[in-house]
Amino acid sequence: MQKTFTITPSRCTACRTCELACSFRHASNGKMGISRIRAHMFDEPHNQILTCFQCDEAACVMVCPVQALVRNEATGAVEVVVDRCIGCGLCSIACPFGHMTHEVDSRIAVKCDLCGGDPACAAFCPTKTLEYK
Amino acid sequence: MTDKTINVQINGQVHQAAPGETILEVAKRAGVRIPTLCYHEALESVGACRLCTVEITHPDWKGWKGYVTSCLYQVEDGLQVETDSADVREIRKTLLDLLLARCPKSDVIQKLAAQYGVKSTSFKENEDDTVCILCGLCVRVCAVKGCHAIGVGGRGIEKLIAKPFNQPPPDCIGCASCAHICPTGAIPFEDVNGVRKIWGHEFPMVRCEECGEPIMPEKQLAFEANKASLDPSYFTVCAACSQKKTVQTIKTAFDMRSIGVADEAPAGR
Repeated sequence: MQKTFTITPSRCTACRTCELACSFRHASNGKMGISRIRAHMFDEPHNQILTCFQCDEAACVMVCPVQALVRNEATGAVEVVVDRCIGCGLCSIACPFGHMTHEVDSRIAVKCDLCGGDPACAAFCPTKTLEYK
Repeated sequence: MTDKTINVQINGQVHQAAPGETILEVAKRAGVRIPTLCYHEALESVGACRLCTVEITHPDWKGWKGYVTSCLYQVEDGLQVETDSADVREIRKTLLDLLLARCPKSDVIQKLAAQYGVKSTSFKENEDDTVCILCGLCVRVCAVKGCHAIGVGGRGIEKLIAKPFNQPPPDCIGCASCAHICPTGAIPFEDVNGVRKIWGHEFPMVRCEECGEPIMPEKQLAFEANKASLDPSYFTVCAACSQKKTVQTIKTAFDMRSIGVADEAPAGR
């Protein structure tokens, strides 16, 4: 079976190490990348970690006019083919969960690609809130 | 890669390629940088800017050489490619000299020209302050979007990116893909008070149901929803608000579980 994220919100301290790990993993040209994962803080121990759900029938894939979003069959992740993306920004609007965004200058779509099967966020999570198994 | 692979030599190094691939595709995969302006992987190559010109030769060609646009030329077995030889640099220098004559005010062209040692054009500078290099990327992206609103019109010195009958294009949906993809930023558009002005149109924009930020023109929303067979509600909330809604939904689900509405208590409590 394909691996998937297991999130245990009650363990999350909202330390945001996942966001940092993501930014570092997706760094390019000497700059930190945009974090593909978000930690949302609440006063009770129900902090939430949100990242792409890798939907089976993904709205982002359906709206992309140039097929720049393709599923990696090995990991199950929908990945952005950076060179194909025309920066129209439609995918980030169409995503019903708001998990997509785009680079500020180049407008290239940005989304979680599960780091090709070894997500940095899960590897660095100090409380094992995020597990990839 | 298909079962039939061919060997191509780029700058002295042998790389494998599939039949039908262009030189540029093979070079990109090999990490060899070739400058381009009018190339985009998602769109059909037309070889308009000519900047990706490379030198090719073949052991069977008895020393003959050719200069081809790498975005269009398909590789063949044994092809030897030079992407940055003295001749190629000289060709690119001339091309950039000409481009600089057309668009003296374009900073993209200025920067690229400076890389090839062209500080100012040796031709007569264009008095127009256009930065359009007439590569037609905008026209191609418009076609791929399925709108075909703009086209390339005229010939020679009168060539231009044209609107039909010089009127605001009736098929334009105001998506501004043309403006975003333009390598020199030559297509102006602005969003003012929820109205997008582009190509002489003034499109009223749909506002986010939650925060009221303008998202996209109403005409584009209707077009995209129809094209992707999705409900228009997919396009009426901005990305930031969608995420807030998701967070709220999950939080509500948690709250219901902790007061015993759902079957079991959340893990760890």
